[in-house]
Amino acid sequence: MSLPTTFFGWVSLILEKYGPLFLRGAGYTMLIALTGTVIGFLIGLLVAIVRTIPVSGKDHFIKRVGLKAASFLLNVYIEVFRGTPMIVQAMVIYYGAMMYLGLRMSALAAAIFIISINTGAYMAEIIRGGIISVDKGQKEAAHAIGMTHWQSMLHVVLPQAVRNIMPSIGNEFVVNIKDSSVLNVISVSELFFVTKSAAGTYARYFEAFFIAAAIYFVLTFTVTRLLRLLEKKMDGGKNYTICGSQSASDAVIKIEEKEA
Amino acid sequence: MADHSVLDIVHLKKSFGDHEVLRDISFSVNSGDVISVIGSSGSGKSTLLRCINFLEDPTNGQILYQGKDAEKLNRAVYHSKVGMVFQSFNLFANMTVLGNCVTGQKLVLKRNAKEAEEKALYFLEKVGMAPYRNARPAQLSGGQKQRVAIARALAMDPEVLLFDEPTSALDPEMVGEVLSVMKDLAEGGLTMLVVTHEMGFARDVSNRVIFMDGGVIVEDAAPQEIFTAPKHPRTREFLSRVLG
Repeated sequence: MSLPTTFFGWVSLILEKYGPLFLRGAGYTMLIALTGTVIGFLIGLLVAIVRTIPVSGKDHFIKRVGLKAASFLLNVYIEVFRGTPMIVQAMVIYYGAMMYLGLRMSALAAAIFIISINTGAYMAEIIRGGIISVDKGQKEAAHAIGMTHWQSMLHVVLPQAVRNIMPSIGNEFVVNIKDSSVLNVISVSELFFVTKSAAGTYARYFEAFFIAAAIYFVLTFTVTRLLRLLEKKMDGGKNYTICGSQSASDAVIKIEEKEA
Repeated sequence: MADHSVLDIVHLKKSFGDHEVLRDISFSVNSGDVISVIGSSGSGKSTLLRCINFLEDPTNGQILYQGKDAEKLNRAVYHSKVGMVFQSFNLFANMTVLGNCVTGQKLVLKRNAKEAEEKALYFLEKVGMAPYRNARPAQLSGGQKQRVAIARALAMDPEVLLFDEPTSALDPEMVGEVLSVMKDLAEGGLTMLVVTHEMGFARDVSNRVIFMDGGVIVEDAAPQEIFTAPKHPRTREFLSRVLG
């Protein structure tokens, strides 16, 4: 069999032989990035909620000390995971769990675990910022009609906070799609890892990674567009209906706003 | 008009750090009262309302609701009985007009969806905002938002409604629509405590006017007395300034 001599020749040969492998790698990458972002979001939500529980001097001693301690520990978590590279966290956690806890995680489970807690640390700060950004009048109004702290958070503040930080959440997702590539150090067969194997067979690194780059770009570009759509949906319709008039109670006027 | 007291404010004091905003405030709100609280900016009017509503914790003193210490009452119950309308409306931005008016009923008063919706629509109708039930706050004018905020407060079936400068954030042409709703409520017998700069409302609609200055109540009398024969020189000075 004669080997190709052109760039396109190599690309098509590699695609022909390793197409399914690339697809599976891309699938793993998306699985890790998506699960990591969702779990990371939940971790961040929990951390941000705990850190924004209001404390007043009137609260019970145990509650005050407990919250202080929890807040301290959460700060440590955020600082450590934001202050060290994920590639190093992956090595420490994967091999640490294996050697000292006797815990042999599957590479995929380890990858999702690592990316989740890493994302959680970033999300905690993003969500805290989102909560702070909601006008404090919203919370006052909720309290003024008798809602508890939790009710006002759940029904009034968090929905608005999450809407406000959607662009940042999307950013985290896109970063995760790309940065999950560093998890190849624990041999999880995501896109970067499979590209390395595909490239190695013929030692055609440029062509193989060119394909990988194209796939990464398609993934992130698609995700960005989808998130834009989701944001629009969260804003609710720009249109609304005015129901009834003085003369006809079933009259309806549709108000349609033009896109800004 | 029954005149048992709904709220008793007893020696209320509030300081922010060293700054004493309320020095020693005592008065009663009787059922059916429409009280206007007037005074220049910084006199403590808004802080007074916020303390009554526990948006600020009083430094000292007591608030009695139906004769009972309000601080010991269940917060949700107290808040549903003593409603509040804000200067900046504070409609829940993530909900429709109708959502704004039913959420509190469902969460706090545990009303079912149908009952809450009927109640909300009844009061939205009353303030002329029922046609806009599906709109979002961002799509409304200031006056419309404030009318929805009033409906939201009324839907909780409050005993007293506190108004914190309800027309101060409005464009001049929208002040009238909100004041006329408030006038209707007053005539309907709702107990109201209104912090306001609208002297016309204070004079024509309320049955009592409280003039505050420097964190104390200077004068508490019927409007015709305050506006035609104020006893205190500080009241006279304030009125001559605002009435021109």
